[in-house]
Amino acid sequence: MPTVVVMDVSLSMTRPVSIEGSEEYQPLSNMDDYDKTCLESALVGVCNIVQQEWGGAIPCQVVLVTDGCLGIGRGSLRHSLATHSQRSESNRFPLPFPFPSKLYIMCMANLEELQSTDSLDCLERLIDLNNGEGQIFTIDGPLCLKNVQSMFGKLIDLAYTPFHAVLKCGHLTADVQVFPRPEPFVVDEEIDPIPKVINTDLEIVGFIDIADISSPPVLSRHLVLPIALNKGDEVGTGITDDNEDENSANQIAGKIPNFCVLLHGSLKVEGMVAIVQLGPEWHGMLYSQADSKKKSNLMMSLFEPGPEPLPWLGKMAQLGPISDAKENPYGEDDNKSPFPLQPKNKRSYAQNVTVWIKPSGLQTDVQKILRNARKLPEKTQTFYKELNRLRKAALAFGFLDLLKGVADMLERECTLLPDTAHPDAAFQLTHAAQQLKLASTGTSEYAGYDHNITPLQTDFSGSSAERM
Amino acid sequence: MAALAAVGPPNPRADPECCSILHGLVAAVETLCKITEYQHEARTLLMENAERVGNRGRIICITNAKSDSHVRMLEDCVQETIHEHNKLAANSDHLMQIQKCELVLIHTYPVGEDSLVSDRPKKELSPVLTSEVHSVRAGRHLATKLNILVQQHFDLASTTITNIPMKEEQHANTSANYDVELLHHKDAHVDFLKSGDNHLSGSSREGSFKETITLKWCTPRTNNIELHYCTGAYRISPVDVNSRPSSCLTNFLLNGRSVLLEQPRKSGSKVISHMLSSHGGEIFLHVLSSSRSILEDPPSISEGCGGRVTDYRITDFGEFMRENRLTPFLDPRYKIDGSLEIPLERAKDQLEKHTRYWPMIISQTTIFNMQAVVPLASVIVKESLTEEDVLNCQKTIYNLVDMERKNDPLPISTVGTRGKGPKRDEQYRIMWNELETLVRAHINNSEKHQRVLECLMACRSKPPEEEERKKRGRKREDKEDKSEKAVKDYEQEKSWQDSERLKGILERGKEELAEAEIIKDSPDSPEPPNKKPLVEMDETPPVEKSKGPVSLLSLWSNRINTANSRKHQEFAGRLNSVNNRAELYQHLKEENGMETTENGKASRQ
Repeated sequence: MPTVVVMDVSLSMTRPVSIEGSEEYQPLSNMDDYDKTCLESALVGVCNIVQQEWGGAIPCQVVLVTDGCLGIGRGSLRHSLATHSQRSESNRFPLPFPFPSKLYIMCMANLEELQSTDSLDCLERLIDLNNGEGQIFTIDGPLCLKNVQSMFGKLIDLAYTPFHAVLKCGHLTADVQVFPRPEPFVVDEEIDPIPKVINTDLEIVGFIDIADISSPPVLSRHLVLPIALNKGDEVGTGITDDNEDENSANQIAGKIPNFCVLLHGSLKVEGMVAIVQLGPEWHGMLYSQADSKKKSNLMMSLFEPGPEPLPWLGKMAQLGPISDAKENPYGEDDNKSPFPLQPKNKRSYAQNVTVWIKPSGLQTDVQKILRNARKLPEKTQTFYKELNRLRKAALAFGFLDLLKGVADMLERECTLLPDTAHPDAAFQLTHAAQQLKLASTGTSEYAGYDHNITPLQTDFSGSSAERM
Repeated sequence: MAALAAVGPPNPRADPECCSILHGLVAAVETLCKITEYQHEARTLLMENAERVGNRGRIICITNAKSDSHVRMLEDCVQETIHEHNKLAANSDHLMQIQKCELVLIHTYPVGEDSLVSDRPKKELSPVLTSEVHSVRAGRHLATKLNILVQQHFDLASTTITNIPMKEEQHANTSANYDVELLHHKDAHVDFLKSGDNHLSGSSREGSFKETITLKWCTPRTNNIELHYCTGAYRISPVDVNSRPSSCLTNFLLNGRSVLLEQPRKSGSKVISHMLSSHGGEIFLHVLSSSRSILEDPPSISEGCGGRVTDYRITDFGEFMRENRLTPFLDPRYKIDGSLEIPLERAKDQLEKHTRYWPMIISQTTIFNMQAVVPLASVIVKESLTEEDVLNCQKTIYNLVDMERKNDPLPISTVGTRGKGPKRDEQYRIMWNELETLVRAHINNSEKHQRVLECLMACRSKPPEEEERKKRGRKREDKEDKSEKAVKDYEQEKSWQDSERLKGILERGKEELAEAEIIKDSPDSPEPPNKKPLVEMDETPPVEKSKGPVSLLSLWSNRINTANSRKHQEFAGRLNSVNNRAELYQHLKEENGMETTENGKASRQ
């Protein structure tokens, strides 16, 4: 997860304190030297940088390091907050950030100092404006290196603790770290929203081909890194002093078979994903992700919580083992698949609907009928199919005049038939025209929507078959 | 459509009162008051919080009004009807009060005439009712208007796909580029909206005032199946459903092809931001992540834990994954106790069974490297076995005995050992141990699994010295042998990995338990109340053995005989039931039965 460190570099910050904690993060932005604190423009800068780099969907942590002096005059935080309600869209206050965020305010001052002015209130307003996402940290005791380190230690514990979990596939297990830490998810529509957190037991429930899962939408994706949990690093201080020890330990761990590596290898070779249960009615998938030709990794993507995150898989709870099916739904030669599930209703674009919004739509349909009329009796079936389609649409729209019009056109076609034409053509055209006219009255039994005009049974049917 | 056809067009000669729009408006309000199935469920679920379930709605009325005052009359009618129905609904279980209603009146008039009704933006008529009036010409103008409204009402946005290559209808060998406009949920544009990429939008199409975002078609190169990083998927519909370009695009997609879409950028850099793809007859617009990845330069899996191991059973696990693929079970299934069976739980159960004994690397296993074991290994993990399965398992075991007799080499890993590795008989001992571990992991599945283990125990070879000692039936030596075996087991285990170690201990525990029973069955101990056949087999040495060295053939046939005899004893209790097979072996049973009893007695003296 990206972190943006914003340093207050006003003169008041030049008290002799070095901040070593910040070296751990990759600062994306350091504001230039100023002689006064101008928090609002700093936050606007953060907004722009994050959006350019990561877009609006990636959660970011913003660590603001300040001494709690909020600046003076225009551009000061007090001024910004005072004018907050009078903003237009163009000079919108940067909070809440237009991306998922946590705003951590690290105050180089202790609580008493801050409380002596209204600084703390103003900073708390900032967190409130960010929809409560974030926290203020202050120094315990006097301002010295040790206390500053301890303050940043608290931030690390809160926001940078690795997420440890156990990946399970039946009896095969592996200790893993999930990175970045999965964020709690708040379901929108629930009446009492409780943030959902993923289980620390990640249980594989089965496997699906990549073609079947078909690039599903996901909330976030994470590296799943196998870890060797041996020296009680549950509450890790983070930094180990002895690098050599670490290296040899890593080498030993590298030689111990790990389920993650086996799983990754097979997922990659087979082109499959593993469906993993993250919590009640919450699932995700594990897959192999190649970063480059050589490097590839086990990744986990989280689906949106809910009973049916992907319409084309159906309800997750209804997915079961293929051995329970009467016959293998993937076929004996692995040549078919039970996915995707077909929706109950066909979409309008997936069926031959009649749309006459534009004149061209109607024209095309009438022309189709006339084209087939000239190729009777060979095109008898197509002719009647198109005729019935037009008839149905006209009845539904109450466009009865159209039926009369088309009937007239068919009669005219009949008179224009060349001498070489098959005699059946004239019979069918006359029959069709007559049926349309009956339908256009709108009252007779012939105007039923479900009624279909069927070809006239003629004596020529035998000879026409011969001709074909 | 069928419903529309049933209503038919209004009859111009009928009384204008009976085809007044007022009937329709009243019916609309009535329908809004009726509780939907979803609302009913939600209310029942929430119980005391039932009032939290909302009931809001929108009435879209397409009509031809006579004047502005006629419109006002219609509005008043809706207002009045809502008022009345809300009173009714207050005391009803199957009605709900309307909390908010939007009335959208669309006045449509023939092209060429002047409108007698003026447009009016949304206005609040009462806390419950808002109303807006749109005045549009009939025909395609009405269609365009509805298109705009549908976008507002359902939070939709428009995307135009450009540069779609399409064969010309008239000249089949030439192709031209077409555009197709699609509607979808506006969240599919979320990245554009937030980043304020204004040059993308703003191309408003003539006649309509809506905006569309243009994305360029990228002709798919291959049918390569890839997993894209997708942050959202939204259903689409072409604006012009059955136009030729639209149906060309949708048919292409419905046939299973996917199309990547590219953002036109002034800089010339190519950014793929979306993908069109169909899933089971529904087309979705997938939003692909085009911003910088937060996981840049991650360590490779080969650099982490277990990354240096090179002999993972990748192919076998691939096979395992294919066997554990999922499939939808749409019809509810019930367990024996009548409770609903959840297919996903069945899938988890199966994974549990299939992984009870699953060595991860090739050098950790012998049996899974042997083709000869496959018929047994593939069925033993099942929840239940058929008679045929049991027979196949037995055949597999006999086949292994045969291999051992012929001294066939085994694929024992020599990794980490010096020289040629273990001797042949030691190899077989390792193989039998492993096979026993696999079968034992499943004996609780069913009685038939138990039978497979019994067969295995009857047939598997023991080290000769072990059998020598058993023959003498000395308890002390038996114990020694046991500890020796335990040491050997441990040595074997040592090469196994951490994760397997625990499992190994468990298995050893089981073995020890079994051996404890053997000891109990020694001459000094009382007869166990429920003597298991397998215990008997281990303890009862064949008669020839006491007479000195035996030939392999006699050893082999002896094993088969005893195995068969055991089978009969097992069936003995069921002899009264109709089982022809038991009858078939009747004489064998008697013979062997006597032998074993005699021997048993002899060894106990």
